Amino acid sequence: MLQDIITPQRALFSDGVQTILRGHENRSRRVVLVKGNLVQNTRSHGRGISARVTKNGRYGFSSTASYTAEDARQVLKAATENALFLDARARTPGRFYPAGETLHFDPMLPIRDTEQKRLVELCRTVDDHIARAYPDLLSRNVVYTEDSQDKIILTSDASSGHVTYPRCYLYVILTAQTPAGVPVELFKAFGGLGSFDDWFDHPEALYPEIDRLYQRLMDKKEGVFAEAGVKTVILGGMMGGMLAHEAVGHTVEADLVLGGSVAGPNLGKRVASDLVTLTDFASEAFGRRAPLPVYLDDEGTPAKDVTLIRDGILTGFMNNRETAQHFGMPAAGNARAWSFSDEPLIRMRNTAVHPGTSTLEDMIASIDDGYYLVESGNGQADLTGEFMFGVTLGYEIKNGKLGRALLDTTVSGIAFDMLRTVDMVSDRMTWSSSGFCGKKQPMPVGMGGPEMRCRISIGGR
Amino acid sequence: MTDLNTSAAFLRDLLQKAGVTGYAIELSESENRELNTEQQNFTLYRTMFNHSASVTAYIAGRKGAASGTDLTEEGLKELVEDACAAAQSAEPDDANGYAEHEPQETFTLGPLQPDMERFHDRLRELMDTVARDYPKILLMQIVASHHTGHRLYENAGGVRFEAYEGEYSVMLEYAGHEGDATTGLAAGSITLRDLDTPILDHGLLRKQLRDTEDSLVTCPVGGKFTGTVILTPDALAYFTYMLISNYMSAGVIMDGTSQWLDKMDTPVVSDKITLRLQAEDDRLVLPAPFTSDGYRAENVTLIDRGVLRANILNLYAARKTGRPVTKNTGTAFVMDPGDTPAADMIKSVRRGLIVGGFSGGQPGANGEFSGVAKNSFYVEDGEIRGAVMETMISGNLADLFTQVTAVSRELFSDGTLAFPYMACEGITISGN
Repeated sequence: MLQDIITPQRALFSDGVQTILRGHENRSRRVVLVKGNLVQNTRSHGRGISARVTKNGRYGFSSTASYTAEDARQVLKAATENALFLDARARTPGRFYPAGETLHFDPMLPIRDTEQKRLVELCRTVDDHIARAYPDLLSRNVVYTEDSQDKIILTSDASSGHVTYPRCYLYVILTAQTPAGVPVELFKAFGGLGSFDDWFDHPEALYPEIDRLYQRLMDKKEGVFAEAGVKTVILGGMMGGMLAHEAVGHTVEADLVLGGSVAGPNLGKRVASDLVTLTDFASEAFGRRAPLPVYLDDEGTPAKDVTLIRDGILTGFMNNRETAQHFGMPAAGNARAWSFSDEPLIRMRNTAVHPGTSTLEDMIASIDDGYYLVESGNGQADLTGEFMFGVTLGYEIKNGKLGRALLDTTVSGIAFDMLRTVDMVSDRMTWSSSGFCGKKQPMPVGMGGPEMRCRISIGGR
Repeated sequence: MTDLNTSAAFLRDLLQKAGVTGYAIELSESENRELNTEQQNFTLYRTMFNHSASVTAYIAGRKGAASGTDLTEEGLKELVEDACAAAQSAEPDDANGYAEHEPQETFTLGPLQPDMERFHDRLRELMDTVARDYPKILLMQIVASHHTGHRLYENAGGVRFEAYEGEYSVMLEYAGHEGDATTGLAAGSITLRDLDTPILDHGLLRKQLRDTEDSLVTCPVGGKFTGTVILTPDALAYFTYMLISNYMSAGVIMDGTSQWLDKMDTPVVSDKITLRLQAEDDRLVLPAPFTSDGYRAENVTLIDRGVLRANILNLYAARKTGRPVTKNTGTAFVMDPGDTPAADMIKSVRRGLIVGGFSGGQPGANGEFSGVAKNSFYVEDGEIRGAVMETMISGNLADLFTQVTAVSRELFSDGTLAFPYMACEGITISGN
């Protein structure tokens, strides 16, 4: 955990500017086994200090990969010079953004280190099990990753504190060959918030899920291409989460709204069926700790939930302090930075569609000819809300029953058009938290959702 | 302790005292200056001072690595301890190792000193030009940076490289806007050695802005058909990355999922395709001068007139698979131009798309891809009919590079890559 050399530097803050000083350490561990070969076995850390100084709305930022009081003084000086450089050349008048709540936060989550030997042993144990249990696989990858952020945030006119965000995952990637000799693969991530011992004390506890993954891969091995066109489908919870994040979430980030996203002119309007409510959760969701809780952002704003869509109506954007002032909305703790050398950007936290009242069984039974799209490998969307998700696992639905598995395919559409077609929402949630969102910087995010029945364009041959 | 040579000597000494006879050390220090704009205003100026060290220890055939930013004596000691602990946790593997007996060399590449006043003025000029010449463009963001760095690599095999590197880079994000109409997000980027000419005069930036304005007029593409796709240089680079990842990279060769495992020196794609991975090329600002294994980087021909000539294998993957190591594991890809004028490629299309971008994930091991055609235009009977929305393309990666009908004689470089236009047939196109 970081020693606090940041708080005593408040005396260096200048008048007439808004200042944030941040001490920040990232730590990562990575072990990769490819077909039993140890191809990565690494430990790394990055620690440093950054300062952001705002003069009339113009941001100066500086960072250094060292962590002493003298470094703090130097980055404050450089950030101030940068803000003055821009302010002196500005063509438009600037303005201050309002001061925030002045609370103090202490770390909620411990960051515990684990011997590298135990990480390698975990991967080796799981890999040996897979090699023994499933000798017919073409290939297998076992990957352990761990990353943590440890931040001390000091602001001139908002909240301050010390926050920690540890997470760790084990990825299992299995590859088989179709009867035609073509490789197909599936993966699953285990783990989440916390450290190694929170998740991986007993590797054998993972085996039932790995076996399920293998069985699904065997289904996929015999799979068929989806029929291209607009279809009635059930999007699995992972797909719902991807939709919440990629296709809606990014369009309601206030910096992208200012950039002309489709959400801007739709605020207060219907953008989805009334079965759809979507929230960017801060630290708790549905009465439990959110997958990746955020308590205080990197502008010193205490984190609160943001309701983005309520009963199908677009109700809000995610903001930093500057855009919150612009849109007349509260800042809710969305300004986050990944490493010490990064400036805070508007980012999602735990973005999810709320569950409904239907059962998955009833939803499947309601479809004569369509698909159940279970797992997604990736997703992209743009300002118009046009999205694309890769589908790595799906099944046909024929006459209300699940049929053959699908080979990899893609779904696409326009988010606010597709969400209007949602007519059934399941009563259960699926969360994922292992990924990074990419927006200039990487950022760990949680996303989740229930199953949703909708009309969507599916790719295929 | 921030002098890299002093840090390297200290690390060597620590490793020696720890009895580690096999090692590789990488040290770096850098300074980045970055100007950001939003909606035609300068909003952020960043200066980042960075340094890092990485140690890979080889102990009795076992390998472990650690990296960090703490270059104090205490920090470097911890790094060596971490690397040794990681190595001791691994099993011995004969494939572990590093280059030996490479000639020691120092490289100086690109502009090392920034001129931030001039950079600011060039960016202001860029924003003013866009506002004047491209009134339907909403320039959302520019991220413009100058990077200067000093890197040092050495290993126990006597290899030592040092590099002083600098570059300017500019990335634009924008969209077309007219009334309530908005195009999708578009982006362009360029990497430069100097600021002697206006930024927009480089690469395809002006054409990309014009295409985005033209994308405001959309043309419905109904139903599903098999047609011709012309990939722009940016889109071709993206598909080439996917091709390499699926068929030629270390991961898929090692795990045996590449479908080109036994195709070396045989035709794998159209004979119109020659693909190179460059170490020295005047069109590119900073190709990597040495590899992470400690090899002096070389120009490598990956595909020569359709014939597979090399995979991209680091030393470990090469030893593990009994194949030759690739003495270039960078990303400075160049595809040779063809002999067809780009304009003629459009004229010969009966029905198809010009694809400027692709929104779809990495295809699975079978090479099947499907995704949304972005920044793309519908072509019928040799004429561009309008931009497309909600239109998907699908096919197989290897087939796409096999069914090539033309490669343009024009070649475009963004300072990091150089690619022509490429036309291929037999792609499934489905509109909404």
